[in-house]
Amino acid sequence: MNTFISQLINGVVLGSIYALLSLGLTMIFGILDIVNFAQGELYMLGAYVGFFLIAVLHINFLLALVISMIVMGVFGILVERFSFRPLMGKPHTSMILGTVGLSIFLMNGAILIFGAEPRRVGTPYSDIFVNLGPFSLSMQRVLVFAVTAALIILLTLFIQKTKMGKAMRACAQDLTAARIVGIDTNRIAMLTCFIGSALAAAGGVLIAPLFLVSPVMGLKACLKAFVVVILGGLGNVPGAIVGGFIIGIAENLTAGFISSEVKDLIPFSILILILLVKPEGLFGKYIPEKV
Amino acid sequence: MMKQKFKSAKTFLIAASLIIAFVIPLITENEYYLHTLIISGIYILLVLGLNLILGYAGQLSLGHAAFYGIGAYTSALLMMKLHFSFWLALPIGGIAAGIAGLMLGFPALRLKGPYLVICTIAFGEIAHQIFMNWESLTRGPMGIPGVPSPGEFSIGNFVIDFSEKQVYYYLVFIIVIIALLLNYFLVRSKTGRAFVAIREDQTAAEVIGVNLTFYKLTAFLSGTFLAGIAGSLYAHYIGFISPESFTLGESINILVMVIVGGMGTIIGPIFGAVGLTFLLELMRAFADYRMVIYGLVLMILIVVLPEGTMGGIDILRRNLKKPQKI
Repeated sequence: MNTFISQLINGVVLGSIYALLSLGLTMIFGILDIVNFAQGELYMLGAYVGFFLIAVLHINFLLALVISMIVMGVFGILVERFSFRPLMGKPHTSMILGTVGLSIFLMNGAILIFGAEPRRVGTPYSDIFVNLGPFSLSMQRVLVFAVTAALIILLTLFIQKTKMGKAMRACAQDLTAARIVGIDTNRIAMLTCFIGSALAAAGGVLIAPLFLVSPVMGLKACLKAFVVVILGGLGNVPGAIVGGFIIGIAENLTAGFISSEVKDLIPFSILILILLVKPEGLFGKYIPEKV
Repeated sequence: MMKQKFKSAKTFLIAASLIIAFVIPLITENEYYLHTLIISGIYILLVLGLNLILGYAGQLSLGHAAFYGIGAYTSALLMMKLHFSFWLALPIGGIAAGIAGLMLGFPALRLKGPYLVICTIAFGEIAHQIFMNWESLTRGPMGIPGVPSPGEFSIGNFVIDFSEKQVYYYLVFIIVIIALLLNYFLVRSKTGRAFVAIREDQTAAEVIGVNLTFYKLTAFLSGTFLAGIAGSLYAHYIGFISPESFTLGESINILVMVIVGGMGTIIGPIFGAVGLTFLLELMRAFADYRMVIYGLVLMILIVVLPEGTMGGIDILRRNLKKPQKI
């Protein structure tokens, strides 16, 4: 039972990261129709920005988180402008290879600039422990979940309550129609990439103190995020959140109860199963709002 | 008139490159060139396989390295653990990959676009995890060293030793030629036309009576069979296999060869396979910058030449057929 609960907690923490990563992936797909293979690299670069702010410039963790999100958000806009926009309207194969190229470029660029060796980020929150009955967990883990929850709430409010959010939902439903009614779709695409990239960066900074930061951390995380978005329904925001937690928890429970070797096998097996049984994902694709 | 000229030029080019490919080992003793050529030949097989699945049947797969790996492991293990002869292990490696290809084909039947791609990635990852974690059989991340070469083959006093690079080159060369011929006849047969019909418009193909299940599975079966053969040839040539050789990165390389070469033609992907293999070797001079440049070039190339470098007429025809975007 103890193992169960502690693995469940680990699963929720990991699930938070998957959810943040998948949100960006699913939103970019929903609006630009692009499966972004470089999403993991945005997460990795976000972690590196966080690393430099925290370990080199000694900036407070939460402030570093915000700065990294903004920096990577702007980077996301550049990615949209110079990589995604030229790919729009091309066949799926080209779009996929285009973002694969971007991913290879960013990952190897990171190896070149930051070096291949993993780096450790220390925060004061790793040493504070919160007691929950028989369990104690580090403040950092609580923080991961709390920040993720806060970001999800903010994102939902933004999408549902603001005019920009409404425009985003319109674009997700039909890009051409959105353009006809006067929405500047290029701006919405840039905004989507800003948000998607900032969320991935948040995931990277949050996970940095728990695991190591390395140039190859993005690839594996990105593959998991693919599983999550398919599980939740491609282009579906609530689906990405729920899917993220399901995969995170499933992975940790497998590690705790079966063996850590098959841990990585589980998400992909779940994926194939979902594709066989319900390819549109848990939340279906006929939900009118994709964002 | 123009077409005639083009055709004869094409025939001439094909004949010339075949002759060059045939005589190269006779003129050069350079082991490194031979090595790169053998690897190119193995990539040609991989690319021909993926080209059947993607270029002709229109099913985008990013799991091709899984079948390459299945062929390599099957063939190596059969020869090492069960003492099969190479000539038996090679086709069984192909068949094992083909069966795995059918296993991927079934879920892939209902999927399109990004769903299909992610499904094939998941399949590749599962295969990779199995190579990594089934340690009693595959030795996990340590890999299997000492995979035997096909050995000697003697006709009377005449001994052919396949551990020599030149001899192995001709083995790969002959298998590539056979694969090419089969490919050529396959895509020009009823099956090939069915593939193209599915690629161009799945619903229309079904309406005119193309059996989608049968032809999609045929595409997966034949494409992955070739990958398995390539895997077997790789294992017995290099002599060492490990999960590192059969990753998503490898699948991406194979896909890049097909796309940059020009999918849906036979010559294009071959051009892509040989070109990229040599290019990646040449780019070793850039050391650390190699993969950065590769990524950047890929990004640019996809935007500038989305349909690949080859197959001019074919591409033009396809472009005309493509539904216009509003």
